[in-house]
Amino acid sequence: MSSPIRRRRDGRYVVRLDPNARIVLADLALQLPEAITSRDPMVRRLFPPAYPTAELAGAEREYRELVDTALVNHHTQSLEVLVATAQADTLSEAEFHAWLDAIGSLRLVLGTRLDVHEDMEAPDPGDPAAAEYGLFVFLGELQYLMVEVLADDLPDEGRPEGDL
Amino acid sequence: MSAELPHRRRGAGTDDRAGATGPADGAKTDGTAVGVVPPETVPQVDLDTELDADLATDKPWLVIVWNDPINLMSYVTFVLQKLFGYPKDKATALMLDVHHKGRAVVSSGTRERAELDVYRLHEHGLWATMEQST
Repeated sequence: MSSPIRRRRDGRYVVRLDPNARIVLADLALQLPEAITSRDPMVRRLFPPAYPTAELAGAEREYRELVDTALVNHHTQSLEVLVATAQADTLSEAEFHAWLDAIGSLRLVLGTRLDVHEDMEAPDPGDPAAAEYGLFVFLGELQYLMVEVLADDLPDEGRPEGDL
Repeated sequence: MSAELPHRRRGAGTDDRAGATGPADGAKTDGTAVGVVPPETVPQVDLDTELDADLATDKPWLVIVWNDPINLMSYVTFVLQKLFGYPKDKATALMLDVHHKGRAVVSSGTRERAELDVYRLHEHGLWATMEQST
């Protein structure tokens, strides 16, 4: 079976998704920016420390002051793109990257809330967390397919140092 | 790609206000010159100054990616290829180090360079920190 996600020859990305999946994606992406801007503890995984040790608490404070606004904007803008283009059949390269970023953020937040760990068993169908876990798995499958398409376009031999 | 770290106003050459309305380099706003009083004669230790002196040594800073149970292995490999231009083999080896050993050094350099790398990794949702090489 061919992947529902592929890069077209004109550089646009085709995303074949079930209409319900698109509604779910837009709905999730619509809720997250408020949690980010209000600094809900559930979004902490989107803001890891750069300097994790107590001795460098001052440096960490400076880093947070320096980057937090930009990091918040980066994540919320990606989520806004996902909301705005959730119904689109094809995406520009920038939109596709925004989807990847937004879906990554959603997975980090859902994964934190579900306390996901390695070799975790899926919750029983009757478990209240089962539906959310299902969303987490769906987002993971989508991310996997998107990464597969993007990784195909990267040179296996890498880029010359400094070419960022 | 938004890889620009917001402008850091620290040190010579990065302060775009220097020379405009601010005090000249080497002078504090109260008029005393920096360095007139040797630090060891100052009875009260300024924690910030001490920290900055600690951070100013020229040992390289290491950027570390930590294992996390959420990000997919293929995604971590992809981000390392995309951000650092590493060959697929190297990015995969680093990802496997992260996965099996819990952490891996993915880049190193000056403090500013390391902070930019950490920031770009944070943009991509990876759990990255930095520490100075011992």
